[in-house]
Amino acid sequence: MALLEIDRVTRRFGGLVAVDDVSGAIAEGELVGLIGPNGAGKTTLFNVICGFTPPSSGEVRFAGEPITGLRPWRICRRGIGRTFQNLRLFPNMTVFDNVSVGAVGRLGIGPFESLLRTRAARDRAADVSARTWQALERTGLAPYAHLLAADLPYGRRKYLEIARALATGPRLLVLDEPAAGLNETETAELARFIRTLHAEGLTILLVEHDMSLVMGICQRVMVLASGRKIADAPPSVVQQDPLVLEAYLGTEEVA
Amino acid sequence: MRGVLAPLAVFAVLFGVLPAGLSAAGSGYLFRLADVTLIFCILSLSMQLITGVAGLLTLGHAAFYGIGAYTAAILSTRLGFDAGLTIPASGLVSALFGVLIALPTMRLVSIYFAVATLGLGEMIYVTLLNWVSFTRGPLGIGDIPPLRPFGFDLSSPLGTYLLIAALAALALLVVHRVAHSYYGNTLRALREDDQCADAMGLPVVRLKIETFAIATFLAGIAGALWAHTTGYVNPADFRFAESILILAMVVVGGLGSIPGAIVGAALLILLPEALRAIGRVRILAVGLIMFLCILFLPKGLFGEVTALDLVRRQFGAAWRGSPTDRPLGWR
Repeated sequence: MALLEIDRVTRRFGGLVAVDDVSGAIAEGELVGLIGPNGAGKTTLFNVICGFTPPSSGEVRFAGEPITGLRPWRICRRGIGRTFQNLRLFPNMTVFDNVSVGAVGRLGIGPFESLLRTRAARDRAADVSARTWQALERTGLAPYAHLLAADLPYGRRKYLEIARALATGPRLLVLDEPAAGLNETETAELARFIRTLHAEGLTILLVEHDMSLVMGICQRVMVLASGRKIADAPPSVVQQDPLVLEAYLGTEEVA
Repeated sequence: MRGVLAPLAVFAVLFGVLPAGLSAAGSGYLFRLADVTLIFCILSLSMQLITGVAGLLTLGHAAFYGIGAYTAAILSTRLGFDAGLTIPASGLVSALFGVLIALPTMRLVSIYFAVATLGLGEMIYVTLLNWVSFTRGPLGIGDIPPLRPFGFDLSSPLGTYLLIAALAALALLVVHRVAHSYYGNTLRALREDDQCADAMGLPVVRLKIETFAIATFLAGIAGALWAHTTGYVNPADFRFAESILILAMVVVGGLGSIPGAIVGAALLILLPEALRAIGRVRILAVGLIMFLCILFLPKGLFGEVTALDLVRRQFGAAWRGSPTDRPLGWR
């Protein structure tokens, strides 16, 4: 059964149809790319999946349950972890504290247990610490744990975004343009890292503007153009697809 | 605040050094000054939780202080309740109002929230001022009995001081435990970026309401202590200027810092008193010191965030909204 099902999702902004009747599915354990030229509707579809924008029509199901219209935090607790394209870290908090927020998001917490320091509260705090360290180790950020996020080198900040999402314990990790702003070496390192996460059993949806990263690591690629899905196939097939080439390179028009 | 040394030091100063020194001096004025400082410590600690930790700029905190004070005043003068009941009741009534106000306003972003709290704070002030049959309006309520919780007579300067100190220590413990825990981390995440916190699985609105409830509870208790120790409450004590004074304590001490809230409160209560010698210009001097603080210590004395950064984000966010509703182009 598909882990994530997108069922005829449409999202309009006034007269603009940003996502137009898009369907698709991601099975457990897949590494899928979602690409498209600027303005294709990738980010809108992404926001519909994560609950930031409700769809105008259509339904999103996760693990068989509809999640359409749920608040982002509820969707996160169902098991969809996300990162942000333009890095939205908590700059005045340490790297450790940044990641701990994801862990708390998964486990939940109340004020009174922190106030009374009950046994349950201490157990949960230990659980949060353990999850946080685990996510830090996994992303190689453990040596930076004490730094403020604002003081972290740019390349590492991407990993902090991912670590925070991993700490929420996702079944599906959705990465929004993780390679933006990285040079070739850094992009290659990131590609290896995403592959490792996938090899460890995580289902990943990679939303990218840039074809190269996606074509290199994804098993399957969905292509959006002008809000519509124009292709959904393995990278080798998509690369030959005339519709895709047209969307990316433009049609030959008479000057 | 880790370890046992810091709590021990706080305990020793609050219940050893200070009361011993004050008793030795034997001055009612100094005792009163200590009481007022501690009451404002409770207020600044509670506002620190809302503004410094959770990042919600509130401009109406004095209103909750006022609700607490009037609850204590009315319960004790009309119904003859003693402080053992009026103090917790003041906290609860204030927290009730806090939650009622938080429910509709917590969805507002940044500067809109600040303006909403400003408006609601003034509404509460105007109500206290004009509901004459209930609050006696501008006359205020007098003859509020001193602190005699459950029949224990704590109306002596030392007894009053010790009760206030005990409640201030309790408030310190509450704010410390809420702020310095993983729960506190979630509140800081709201301050940094609440949309992102939402995406990380945090119920943003619920967390904000909880914070507001805890902080307004503490502000209500501070109000009850003020009412019982002053013996008289008047709407003018709970105006906008008082909210700004508490905000100034938090900002000068440093946003997000608990020692900052305490030092800020002590500074802004004790400094004007210490400067009495220079006469009328003392308030100017206090203003100047605050100004220089912000200029040269942008994070306050102990802060996690710069005050300017918080204000900039509060105001910046007001323009973040969608410009699609207005016609294109400018005339």
